[in-house]
Amino acid sequence: MGRPPISRRAFVRGAGALAAFGAATAAGLRLRGGPASPWDGDVFAPPDRAHVAVLRASYDSDLTGIVTDGLRAIGANVAGARVLLKPNMVEYDRGAAINTDPRLVVAAVEALRALGAGSVAVGEAPGHRRDTGYVVSASGLADALKDVHAPFIDMNISRAAPVQLHTYYTTMRQLWLPDAVTEADVVVSMPKMKTHHWAGVTLSLKNCFGCLPGRVYGWPKNALHWQGIERSILDIAGAVRPAYAIVDGIVAMEGNGPIDGTAKDVGLLIVGDDPVAVDATTSHVMGFDPDRFTYLREAGRFLGVSDLTRIEIRGEDPDTVVDPFVPAPTFGGPAVIGGQ
Amino acid sequence: MVAAGDVDALLALCRSDDGGFGSMPGAGSEPASTALAAIALDDDEARRWLAGAQREDGSFGIDAGAVRSDDTSLVALALPAGPALERALDHVVAMAGANTVDGPDPPPYGWSWTVGAHGWTEPTAWGVLALRRCRPTSVDRIEDGLEVLRQRACVQGGWNYGTRESFDVEQPPFVQTTAIALFAVAGIDDALTSSGARALRSRWRHESQGVLSLATAAAALRFLNDADANDAMAVLTDQVLGAEGVGTVALAWSSIAAGDGLLALEA
Repeated sequence: MGRPPISRRAFVRGAGALAAFGAATAAGLRLRGGPASPWDGDVFAPPDRAHVAVLRASYDSDLTGIVTDGLRAIGANVAGARVLLKPNMVEYDRGAAINTDPRLVVAAVEALRALGAGSVAVGEAPGHRRDTGYVVSASGLADALKDVHAPFIDMNISRAAPVQLHTYYTTMRQLWLPDAVTEADVVVSMPKMKTHHWAGVTLSLKNCFGCLPGRVYGWPKNALHWQGIERSILDIAGAVRPAYAIVDGIVAMEGNGPIDGTAKDVGLLIVGDDPVAVDATTSHVMGFDPDRFTYLREAGRFLGVSDLTRIEIRGEDPDTVVDPFVPAPTFGGPAVIGGQ
Repeated sequence: MVAAGDVDALLALCRSDDGGFGSMPGAGSEPASTALAAIALDDDEARRWLAGAQREDGSFGIDAGAVRSDDTSLVALALPAGPALERALDHVVAMAGANTVDGPDPPPYGWSWTVGAHGWTEPTAWGVLALRRCRPTSVDRIEDGLEVLRQRACVQGGWNYGTRESFDVEQPPFVQTTAIALFAVAGIDDALTSSGARALRSRWRHESQGVLSLATAAAALRFLNDADANDAMAVLTDQVLGAEGVGTVALAWSSIAAGDGLLALEA
């Protein structure tokens, strides 16, 4: 992954330059086909290399060992870092493959500790349920984290503050982000491998929606949808900037995702040091051309590598594990990023 | 049974130095958490903070760049009679959820979490309740909000965040949103109240692991004089005093369930 030219915390907490505002506004308006770049070039280095590991796994396997091996394979460096894990707990429905499995979250906690992380916390701001405590308890995540003495942060109510955006896909200009996100040295996005009725797929970039507090954006975070879901994905992921991603594709969801789809046994974890590359690789494994997802293609211009030929793969060859997903019936193809 | 004093002591820990309440201890004061705490504690210091937080257009909320949250209806229930309340109510009457990005925008609208977005269950419930209690002459807006709650009610009764069906799949009710909506519809729509209360009775035990769900359920059941109210209060006692990381809103609802705050939520 291309190393950002300034530190992550300096990036997310720093005040944005007003000078960028006008240029970006113009760029945003030209996004429907113009050449201008709707991001600050001094903040986002051109994406160069990305490493992704495709790993076979089951929930009964040695998940900690598999995740540790995967993180080592991509060269993850978390020594001494404050790490925030962000699983997908948008809502809970017993029997539905909506959430990142708590066993995988625990495995990631243990793997990161084994790799020398200074601290590991887990945070989420569920988008449908105001009662995070219910989601986390009912899903089993609360008890699982207690077993490994890992703190959970309810990012719907935790301390948060506005940060200036350095991307300009929406008109938001500013996001409220939890301190848990801005003060972390490393954010690891841990999505469930799912189809999505509007975005096509919901993976490590879309999972960043769950970093935003509902007490500002609501339940659901409808303001983000009205800004254009793809535009919002780009702005939010560009602000959160996950350093790593671990996709729960052991049991995934196809069809009418991300809530009402059908569980699908895939048996894979996908781990990487570039969330764009992880999402592109995962999309490919799901049987979708990553270029079909406009936000992913756009993210490949500034946030990471979306070109599959430029991603260094470890573990399984993605071509050999492609397992086509039933797409969400309402997702008809490439969205128009200019269509808010 | 949970003692209001015990919960109130926990809630008091969430107060900021400026007199308002943040979303949890140590967080900066915000309108929604301050309003609920003011209702729960009947607290003038919190009300003074609210008076200083009113926007020029009479509204209350958090500004996040182009996104403006809107908690005015809830805050209105906490404000004393006077100019600040009237300005807030003027805003509530004028504020409406949007159903289309542009072009004709058919009713009903309800109220949204953020300015310019779609109407959803909880803010619509607060809008209806604020107007029923503080400006009952706004008949059209009250009826508009009630119609949103009728249309968004789940097939099995009760409410989730505001979606009856999603892509042809029926969506189940949630306890927390059902409880809040019941405050809005009780005494004005018997059928909606009856189906909502039935859904709440059938679900509150399943969602009692969440303090916020349990506290709102206990408050609503007590408000409705429901036979389950005592059971819910007993479970709440165990949950709220032993839980970690409970935020201001959940503590305020626990206090309201146990104390006199319910009086402020009567239409």
